[in-house]
Amino acid sequence: MTGFRIANGGLIDRSTNLTFKFDGKSFKGHQGDTLASALIASGVHLMGRSFKYHRPRGVISAGASEPNALVELREGPRKEANTRATMVELYDGLIATSQNRWPSLENDFLAINSLASSIFVAGFYYKTFMWPKTFWEKIYEPLIRKAAGLGTASKEADPDTYEKSYAHCDLLVIGSGPSGLMAARTAARSGARVILADEGSALGGSLLFENEEIDGTNGLSFAQTIIAELASLPNVTLMPRTTIFGWFDGNIFGGLERVNDHVAVPPAFEPRQRYWRIHAKRAVLAAGAEERPLVFGGNDVPGVMLASAMRHYANRYGAAAGKSIAVFTNNNSARRTVGDMKDHGINIAAVIDTRKNGKIINVKGGKGVKSIDLSDGSHFECDAVAMSGGWSPIVNLMCHRGAKPIWNEIIAAFMPPDVGPQFRAIGSASGKMLLSECLNSGIVAGTLKGKTPPTPKCKDEAFAIQPFWWVKESTSKAFIDYQNDATAKDLPLANREGYGHVELAKRYTTTGMATDQGKLGNVNAIAILAEAAGKSISEMGTTTFRPMYTPVSFGAFAGPFTGHHFQPVRKTPLHDWAIEQGAVFVETGLWMRSSWFPKAGEDWLASASREVKATRAGVGLCDVSTLGKIDIQGKDAGAFLDKIYCNTFSTLAIGKARYGLMLREDGVVFDDGTTSRLADDHYLMTTTTANAARVMSHIEFCHQALWPELDVQYVSVTEQWAQMAIAGPKSRATLQKLVDGLTLNDETTPYLAAKDITILGGLTARLFRISFSGEHAYELAVPADHGNMVARAIMQAGQEFEIVPYGVEALSMMRIEKGHVAGGELNGTTTAGDLGLGKMMSTKKDFIGRMMATREGMVDPARQCVVGIRPVDRTMKIRSGGHLLKQSDRPSMANDQGYICSVAWSPMLDMWLGLALLSNGRARHGEVVKVFDGLRGHHYLAEICDPVHFDPENRRLHA
Amino acid sequence: MHRVSSLQTIAIQGRFGADKGAPGVTLSVVHPLAIAMVIARNGKSKALKDALASLKSVNVLWAGPDQYYVQSAAKSEAALYTELKTKLANIASVTDQSHGRITIRISGPKARAVLAKGTPIDLYTDEFPVGKSALTQMAHVGVHITRTGKDEFTLSVFRGFSESFWEWLTSQAAEFGYQVS
Amino acid sequence: MLIPCPHCGTRPVEEFTFLGDATVTRPTSLEPSSMDAWMDYVYLRDNPRGDYTEYVHHSGGCRAWLVVKRNTDTHEVDSAVATKTMKAKT
Ligand SMILES: [Zn+2]
Repeated sequence: MTGFRIANGGLIDRSTNLTFKFDGKSFKGHQGDTLASALIASGVHLMGRSFKYHRPRGVISAGASEPNALVELREGPRKEANTRATMVELYDGLIATSQNRWPSLENDFLAINSLASSIFVAGFYYKTFMWPKTFWEKIYEPLIRKAAGLGTASKEADPDTYEKSYAHCDLLVIGSGPSGLMAARTAARSGARVILADEGSALGGSLLFENEEIDGTNGLSFAQTIIAELASLPNVTLMPRTTIFGWFDGNIFGGLERVNDHVAVPPAFEPRQRYWRIHAKRAVLAAGAEERPLVFGGNDVPGVMLASAMRHYANRYGAAAGKSIAVFTNNNSARRTVGDMKDHGINIAAVIDTRKNGKIINVKGGKGVKSIDLSDGSHFECDAVAMSGGWSPIVNLMCHRGAKPIWNEIIAAFMPPDVGPQFRAIGSASGKMLLSECLNSGIVAGTLKGKTPPTPKCKDEAFAIQPFWWVKESTSKAFIDYQNDATAKDLPLANREGYGHVELAKRYTTTGMATDQGKLGNVNAIAILAEAAGKSISEMGTTTFRPMYTPVSFGAFAGPFTGHHFQPVRKTPLHDWAIEQGAVFVETGLWMRSSWFPKAGEDWLASASREVKATRAGVGLCDVSTLGKIDIQGKDAGAFLDKIYCNTFSTLAIGKARYGLMLREDGVVFDDGTTSRLADDHYLMTTTTANAARVMSHIEFCHQALWPELDVQYVSVTEQWAQMAIAGPKSRATLQKLVDGLTLNDETTPYLAAKDITILGGLTARLFRISFSGEHAYELAVPADHGNMVARAIMQAGQEFEIVPYGVEALSMMRIEKGHVAGGELNGTTTAGDLGLGKMMSTKKDFIGRMMATREGMVDPARQCVVGIRPVDRTMKIRSGGHLLKQSDRPSMANDQGYICSVAWSPMLDMWLGLALLSNGRARHGEVVKVFDGLRGHHYLAEICDPVHFDPENRRLHA
Repeated sequence: MHRVSSLQTIAIQGRFGADKGAPGVTLSVVHPLAIAMVIARNGKSKALKDALASLKSVNVLWAGPDQYYVQSAAKSEAALYTELKTKLANIASVTDQSHGRITIRISGPKARAVLAKGTPIDLYTDEFPVGKSALTQMAHVGVHITRTGKDEFTLSVFRGFSESFWEWLTSQAAEFGYQVS
Repeated sequence: MLIPCPHCGTRPVEEFTFLGDATVTRPTSLEPSSMDAWMDYVYLRDNPRGDYTEYVHHSGGCRAWLVVKRNTDTHEVDSAVATKTMKAKT
């Protein structure tokens, strides 16, 4: 043995030399090491400081339950805090930093907390920092954070990528130890689709480090043979480095695959981690059992570790925890440690078995074990202590959907609950303590069809345990929960102070919280709490197990959907044309809409104002492709629309469009748009951009759930058509140049005409004479692939009229000038009457919302209805959101009479104006009101007027 | 008239992603394509099925209860629409969707692995045989998926999402290496 | 949670949109005297712990409206039937 590296054996490659840094100091290790094993082999036990008392701490375990050896792994944007050194695979150039210490791990100033520990007893946060309240934010919390914070996160963006993926299988096997391998092999041989997942870097589970004899060979080669067979089968997926972290409804399992955490930087195009959602017809939990610490004075001194972890380090990694060790146990399993350590030539200083020869009272040593004091007064020198307080089946996943584990007296552990055949525990996860039982339970669980194959022969080690929870004679601190610095004494204290319920004691003492969630300490805590409360362990029960089994990074959950990819982007068929025209885009839902088309030196207001003026003076072209378009066909299409809209569509003439208003069943306005009749049994509905998807779902519901007898079919055609509004006095002349064989005039194409035409020599198109701007206007729809081409052709045709492209800002200005209601007014509170559209509601038919719209409150004349509003000071800019009060009223929400919904600069009237909702507003045109803007802290006077600010006679529309 | 696909300047031909020998998947945009949505009129489910079965040189893909996409790469969209309107009169409503959807073909040994990153559907051959279509979501986008071969699928999405969807699809294929053809 | 869509097969819950109680029936009367029934239909819902029958839309799939029977306590899904099929039977 050189230092603490055992000369031979194990699964490390001694021919490799990996250099790594821990707290700035260089060390060497081998391929196959973990960070923890490489440090142990280098003689380093001190790996962290504890949370509260800043006590020196070393590694306790060799796996996922590690509470102490938490490090910040990597540097810069790839830094990851609270990483368990026991799970970190060593790679060349690895950099790790200890946490929770200042200024250094060796000398931590806050270790004084340990001396002042009487104020840090259970509930200390509640007791110490209660008063005064105002001190919390500024004094207590920063202080606690500095003193007790875990690792720190990088503030730079993570440069790596993360993925999500689904998987499906007949059998998911969680854990690849003896029982998991048996289950996987048995199921795989019968042709089932099997996924074998294991959180470890290599498959094999306990066979990677325990000395076993199976089928006439050693456990490791037995495992390797099976893994090779499984790897060769097309129906098997092996997933090492994959933690199954949660069990969810539908037998769905969450998994985290650490694809590239074992290298410094992921290879190009590969993710760092992948989040799996595994749909399993059946699953078996073969996660094994967790060894429990014993609770005695100084059980946290670096060098004290679980007996199984000690032999794990020695047998798998060739790393010796010490040169002379003591073993402390209450059960048979620690005998393996004694035997294995002797085989490695390590001295056994003492074996203390609570069932035979007493207890360790105290461990002596600060940053490392020096000696132990026993209950019989004897004293031994040693540099490491192996402890075994029994074994707890790792039941977590089986309890994620609410079932509670069941206490078993014989093995002194909580057993997994029966949650049905879809998910069963096998092997030591089901409390099987003999290898033969583990192998057999795996084979039985893996037999999905046919006869159960025979179980391989193996050598069993008899198991027996006598529960032993706490060496009460200890004078130094005996820890229950290492990560939270909860001691055995905290639990009786919690009980005395009235927090004896297991869930309350958890919060009061912090036992079982933080990154390890009490994997090691909870059973000891429950037993001690039960004793203090005079209950049995069974009566005390456990706290609630919840996903995640071990921490999962946010990156893995977000997957590739971050930044620009957070949600999909939806582009219109005129996107390229809009870019050519210099559009500035705005996100409208997922759509990118052209918002304005600035010329050099123009801001949005100048640009949009120019677009409005040019459109009203000549002609403008606007992309309206985002409006929802629904093709509605069938014998009963008209009758169906009569149900959906509050006005009537069954009487609409073929070739005509009509403005329609939809209500919700509660009588409030839902959506609006023009709907055209293309044939007797064929309509085309338009919806607002915002509600397109909602209207589609609504139509589907109304038909399928309310009136399935109606013969009607519907499908979204929003994306099929590129749709353009061509507006302005020169719109007809512009369009005329494109249209094939049709003279556009009031006879062929009257207001509200809707017809199929061809343009540009044979291109299919639909022409609608409708207007949102108030101008003589058309909407032209062409198949999407031709959208850009047609828009360019219109621009060409309109050149002589100085045609402009206009965006949604100009559109909004024009609709507010014209008093057309939109999203600000169709805001989920307004009735048809509020919008001045009450007469549209038919009294001759049933329609969605009809009855509820007749309620007293819905027709109250005092309701707020749409009015126009302009500032008395015409030079003033107004904003939406301001509340309307009587002119003489004090500015207060108590006097509220309505509010401004939409505002715009009017290029035509040269002032800011808006639309508002005002109580009994239609009777108040001409009244001067007070606008109270509490948010911006001011008020001003404004005049109420007709909502139609511009061209009230609609001369331009019919020009 | 020449149709311009929404992916014309996006789906550039070539070899991309990791270089691990042969590409894991090959991607191509199926364009131009004539597509019509046909939906059975009330009580005409069977009549529509029979009528569709008798159609020649078109692909008929399930697209929901009593709904199908009828596709043809050879016919013009107008020709397909007119043919269906005539043959399916009183049996189904017909809507031209040729321009509304973009169809992407994905093939190769890693096709299933790439798609598993998007859809919860089990694409194992026994569960999802050749010729089967399904409606699902990938990367927050509605996708119509059809298996066209052992390792070959077509994906169709709304035109407006096609660029975003292409970005996602190619980024997920990159680890296996992909060819755009 | 998985929902067995009669058209699409078993799919995860994220593909679906929930609307609520499917046992309510839209009144047919437009007489003022039926207002109470309308109020119940539009607003009144139970929120049971246990068996629940509700409208579910396969919005991320075939777009069929389904009536799903499930247990709000155990999350077990008992059945999913298309509304169109149900109405046809009654
Ligand atoms: Zn479905």
